[in-house]
Amino acid sequence: MNAQLGPADDEGRIPAQQQTRVSAFLISAHGAQARQLLTAMPLRLRQPWQVELHAQYCREIEMLSLLTRATSWVPDPQLGLLLWQWENAWLPRPMRGAADHYHGLLVDMAALGHAIHAGIRPAALLPEGVAPLDPFVQAMRRIEFESGRLLQAQILFLKGPQLADVREEVADAVERRHDQVRELWTAMLQGLNVAVE
Amino acid sequence: MPWLACKSRRIHYELTGPEDGPACVLVNGLTQYVKLWLPFRDGLVARGFRVASYDMLGQGQSDKPRLFIDQVDQVDVLHELITSLGPRPVFVGGISFGGVIALRYAIEHPNSIAGLVPMSSFAEIPPQLMRLGMAMRTALILGGTTYLQDLLFPMNFSNAWLEAKADIIGLATHRGWLINDVYALQNLMESFLSFEPLTDQLPQIRIPTLIMTGEYDFLTPRPLQDSLRTHIPDSALVIVPRAYHAFTLEKAELAAYVMARFAEDVMAGRFQGKQSIWVAPEEVGGELTPFPAGFDHLRSIPVRLKEPEVAHADPPAQAAEGSEGAPQHEAAS
Repeated sequence: MNAQLGPADDEGRIPAQQQTRVSAFLISAHGAQARQLLTAMPLRLRQPWQVELHAQYCREIEMLSLLTRATSWVPDPQLGLLLWQWENAWLPRPMRGAADHYHGLLVDMAALGHAIHAGIRPAALLPEGVAPLDPFVQAMRRIEFESGRLLQAQILFLKGPQLADVREEVADAVERRHDQVRELWTAMLQGLNVAVE
Repeated sequence: MPWLACKSRRIHYELTGPEDGPACVLVNGLTQYVKLWLPFRDGLVARGFRVASYDMLGQGQSDKPRLFIDQVDQVDVLHELITSLGPRPVFVGGISFGGVIALRYAIEHPNSIAGLVPMSSFAEIPPQLMRLGMAMRTALILGGTTYLQDLLFPMNFSNAWLEAKADIIGLATHRGWLINDVYALQNLMESFLSFEPLTDQLPQIRIPTLIMTGEYDFLTPRPLQDSLRTHIPDSALVIVPRAYHAFTLEKAELAAYVMARFAEDVMAGRFQGKQSIWVAPEEVGGELTPFPAGFDHLRSIPVRLKEPEVAHADPPAQAAEGSEGAPQHEAAS
């Protein structure tokens, strides 16, 4: 097992097989976020936080577009099964103890967002010697950087006063989503012979 | 790799030095981790101390709570680590954020340690520090860990150090970026949003306390350290010459030497803080000298104190030990 992706080829590119698998995972995860955000957003924005949802949605779409275009795709026979597994994991699981079903869904969406944006650090897996201007390398760095910013909306919401009464339930929901995302991310990387702690 | 369990959290720590030696526990500052204590730790080990350094909850390889990190939890972790060291003299040194946790610990567990060494630390957050802290939080949020580190480097180190280490700063930044997580650093910084000043509780710290401050520290400037001195009864303030905020990194051997001397004096019953003010030597092995009598140690230009502010104090044993027969010095209090 290696600690990072690679080794990079002579031109500093990550192997296409690894690019394909990593990008597929990220597209699945961020795609799920985008779908959930779209569902949670009314057609007409009336509240300030709904404006934030819209901004998040647009950035998730940007990531999906970037990944689609920056990846050197190759056929991957295992992707079908993996995608089914990943997509099932992202299905909404409303938090117990919420004021109502809708708020339970919102907390779960934010918890999943927190886990995806905070728990997945694709740029940290890039080995030394990668070409800094390679589109896939740039995409990995950009996604990690943007995730740090996108995370703020989840942090603000999950730590906000409106959820102060259910702080423990919220913390548990976030922890569960983190465990789930880490497990899937780690397993996916192990399939590429990459071990992360 | 040793791990400490504290309330279902895993804490990464390292123990070095003679097993039966008196202990020094080192509490790191924001964005730091165990390995950054190495030269400081080695300085203490060389003088016979058992040294425990650890990654604070939310930092390095220790667990990183996802949403909330309470400073009370940090005190609990420190207590767990100190308890695990068994019955022996224990000295706690903390830098910056770590100094705050060390102060909190000494307030809450006054009888469990032999001495305290807050470095570049503070017990209150005046407007300048608050605004700097908020700006650093914004830097972290908008620019990520690397941007925060870019801001911290010139606050922490001298021009000479930055010039000499220019080739490794990139690597150090990369390591800091790898080992830290944005959300965890943010949680640590946000644990100060509800910070209540500790100043009123400082007189509860009755143990010998050596407060260390960098001569040029503008992140946590001298008045903040001086507030510790004037509120902790058995304390002395030591100014580290030509040092900035992170002198445990830039002047690690010297800072470790001063801490070791303090601990040795405490164990020998020689330390007398008397809220006195000292200047550390420039090199390891040198002597501390009293701050010039009659001058205001909080000014950057030599300004004489008004008569009522000048007080007489005996020098702590550290200076007397190396300068036998030296005259009694006046020190501002």
